[in-house]
Amino acid sequence: MKGKSGIPSGGRSPFNWRSLFEPFRPRREGTMPAGLIIVVMVLALCVAGLLDADSTLRKSNAKGDGWRNEIAKTVASVTDTLHINFFRNSIDDALGKNQGTKIDVEELLRQQAEAESAASAEAAKKVPELPAPTPVTPMKIWVGGDSITQTFGTSFQRITQSTGIFTPTLDFHVSTGLARPDYYNWPEHLVKTVLPANPSILVIMFGANDGQNMIGADGKVLERTSEPWMAEYRRRVAATMDLLKSPDNQRITIWCGPPPMGPGTKTRGMDQMSYIYWSEAQSRPWIQYFDTWPFFSDSNFVFAANLPNADGVVRGTRQKDNVHFSTVGGDRLSWAVIDRIGKLVDLSAGRVTPPPAQAPPASLVERTEIPPSMPGAE
Amino acid sequence: MLFPTVDFAVFFLVVFTGSWLLRPHKIAWRWFILASSFVFYGWWDWNYLVLLSLSIGINWFLGLAVFRSLTPEGERTNASRWLVRIAVVVNLGILGYFKYFDFFISTIADKMRSIGISVDAPILNIILPIGISFFIFQAISYVIDIGRGQWRKPLTILDFAVYLSFFAHLVAGPIVRASEFAPQLDELPDPRYVRSAEAFMLIFRGMFKKVVISSFLAIQIVDPVFANPNAYGPLAVLLAIYAYAIQIYADFSGYTDIAIGVALLLGIRFPQNFDSPYIALSLQDFWSRWHMTLSRWLRDYLYIPLGGNRGSKAMTYRNLFLVMIIGGLWHGANWTFVVWGAIHGSYLVAERIVKEKWKGHELGLPPLLVKAMQWFLVFNVVCLAWVFFRATSVDEAFTLLGRLFASSGSSAGVSLLLIFVIVGSVASQFVPQRFPQKAEVWFATWAPALQIAALAGGLVLVDALGPEGIAPFIYFQF
Repeated sequence: MKGKSGIPSGGRSPFNWRSLFEPFRPRREGTMPAGLIIVVMVLALCVAGLLDADSTLRKSNAKGDGWRNEIAKTVASVTDTLHINFFRNSIDDALGKNQGTKIDVEELLRQQAEAESAASAEAAKKVPELPAPTPVTPMKIWVGGDSITQTFGTSFQRITQSTGIFTPTLDFHVSTGLARPDYYNWPEHLVKTVLPANPSILVIMFGANDGQNMIGADGKVLERTSEPWMAEYRRRVAATMDLLKSPDNQRITIWCGPPPMGPGTKTRGMDQMSYIYWSEAQSRPWIQYFDTWPFFSDSNFVFAANLPNADGVVRGTRQKDNVHFSTVGGDRLSWAVIDRIGKLVDLSAGRVTPPPAQAPPASLVERTEIPPSMPGAE
Repeated sequence: MLFPTVDFAVFFLVVFTGSWLLRPHKIAWRWFILASSFVFYGWWDWNYLVLLSLSIGINWFLGLAVFRSLTPEGERTNASRWLVRIAVVVNLGILGYFKYFDFFISTIADKMRSIGISVDAPILNIILPIGISFFIFQAISYVIDIGRGQWRKPLTILDFAVYLSFFAHLVAGPIVRASEFAPQLDELPDPRYVRSAEAFMLIFRGMFKKVVISSFLAIQIVDPVFANPNAYGPLAVLLAIYAYAIQIYADFSGYTDIAIGVALLLGIRFPQNFDSPYIALSLQDFWSRWHMTLSRWLRDYLYIPLGGNRGSKAMTYRNLFLVMIIGGLWHGANWTFVVWGAIHGSYLVAERIVKEKWKGHELGLPPLLVKAMQWFLVFNVVCLAWVFFRATSVDEAFTLLGRLFASSGSSAGVSLLLIFVIVGSVASQFVPQRFPQKAEVWFATWAPALQIAALAGGLVLVDALGPEGIAPFIYFQF
């Protein structure tokens, strides 16, 4: 049968739903009429959408899809009522995915406050004074965070180990941060796993994955970098910082702000987050904010991938994605952080003089104040 | 817009429906496909559309000018030669600006610093528009084919715009020639016989390769080891190298599978881009199976114009080596890509020399063993070259290779599942093509309801097995 333009019209027999359940006999091997393909694709996507509703909602919440988020919520609500999400959730259970608990940071803080004596609260008003580590009594140091910490942390672990006065532990989790406790619950991990090991120093870095929408305490989606988002993120940062306080004021946390991200990256709001970390750290002596920005930017604080180290040789500090550090960048930051630790703790018993080929130039310094919006920020 | 996303699924449903409804109306259909392609590309950044539109306009005009400057018999003239040169220079100029300007400037600044002259390099931090290398190469092939008299029918600007911007191949290929694509614009495919089974299989296979295999290998071992090789021991490093070979294949061929499947559903057939490259018994064989449309482009527009194998043996070797170096640089502005190209170029030359020397000689070994040895050698040379392709710098690549001989180091990330995925992925390339083809034919006979269930189940499974979020395809950066 040919249409007006000479093209076969595709058959105009009325659609019969029963034919969907009968074996298909293609007129030509491996083919199907376009009309039936539309039916198959639409129904397959609808069924997949229903089965996958929870996962779609999680992603939509994170991205902040506006009206699409409303659709995702409605679909997830329907599938939850009808228990259609059972199939996908069973797969997730089997794979051990999305096991984030609903742990309440406020509850952790309340427990901490109950355990804290008045004396220890007073002690926490000063920067902790830690005993000098020696090769005989090395200091426990923990480094952790997201995938940026993966490269930095591996360098840091190697370098601190080589000083002879630290016992380092690396603990990174890819694609994590403080925005998605349903995906990875850092406060819980810190309280339940990290702090019981009693590290004297924690080096922590978040932010690169946090430029996404969040679910607020009331269950509402907070648009990223909006005022309510900032307030909620600040609350989470402050709570996490409070959790890191030790009762005897014998723990320092070096909270590293995220570095500037290069062209082509999709990270957002790094400068605003840095400002939150810095400003919250000001009232907490046990938290020492470390400004990584100047170490990975040019003299105008604009992102630079290739930078000179102390020996004057320019090297690539970032990976090709312009987000993660190269080994050179990891080493550079590690020596800078060790230098900062050296200002708080006596490290003279260790080998802490950096090779010029690995360390940043001495002229680079952290800033003492972080502006709410940085030059060169995305 | 990324292929394995809800956005693309909805977009494609609209395009599929609109395309088949409008197909009988040739002009309306072309405008519809063009608009769809612009939406697809503009989804990343609407600013990119300016460059794409400029590229369409300039190359269409130059193609027409070249055609008009040919003799009535289609013979080249001085004017046509100059116009082709202008087209090549303009296109490579655009590519060079976006891709190589910063690299060039920083290299010069480094050299000057090394001789004691301090300069403040004017690095522009230029953002590379997605897929620029692919559509620029297609545009060059169009103008050159006209200039050579191989394509005697200059396209209308609408056809050329559809050809250059067609969303299925726009951002990461395959690199399709006008002679392959344009005739299909005039054909009226029968909507009763859409090759759905092959298309669905390709799309599913592509998604599985990209979302599950490629992502798993990247997160599990490749990214951590390449980021800090000094922390890892020989086993982890060796597996990371093999894993990257699989990752880049799964990522790129996965994208191509989806692209071919999507185009097929719209009634357009793209050329094959991968043909089980890791079963190759020689590097020449590898390049006839890996990124086949780029290999073909380099052969026709670089190797042959350089003289190909028409001159002396030494010239043939030089041409082979040069083509691979330039092919390496096409991937990006970094010495790592130059080394990658040099390894391939050197080995291709060595392979030719050895073949010529050993012609007629028998090793006296069982043929199967010889083949196994050839395969092992080629596979490992390819993997060695991938180390430079993946590393941030040549130094880092050597650091990683040095760790293969380290006496200690972490084995984090090494697991039975990882080894199974690597071995299984290589082994799957030895499966004869007839098996998936039979599966496609069988799938097409399933009741549509069963097909719906299988497709839906497959989508959920891919999503569940994949990581949170979809990483961009590796080849988008090229």
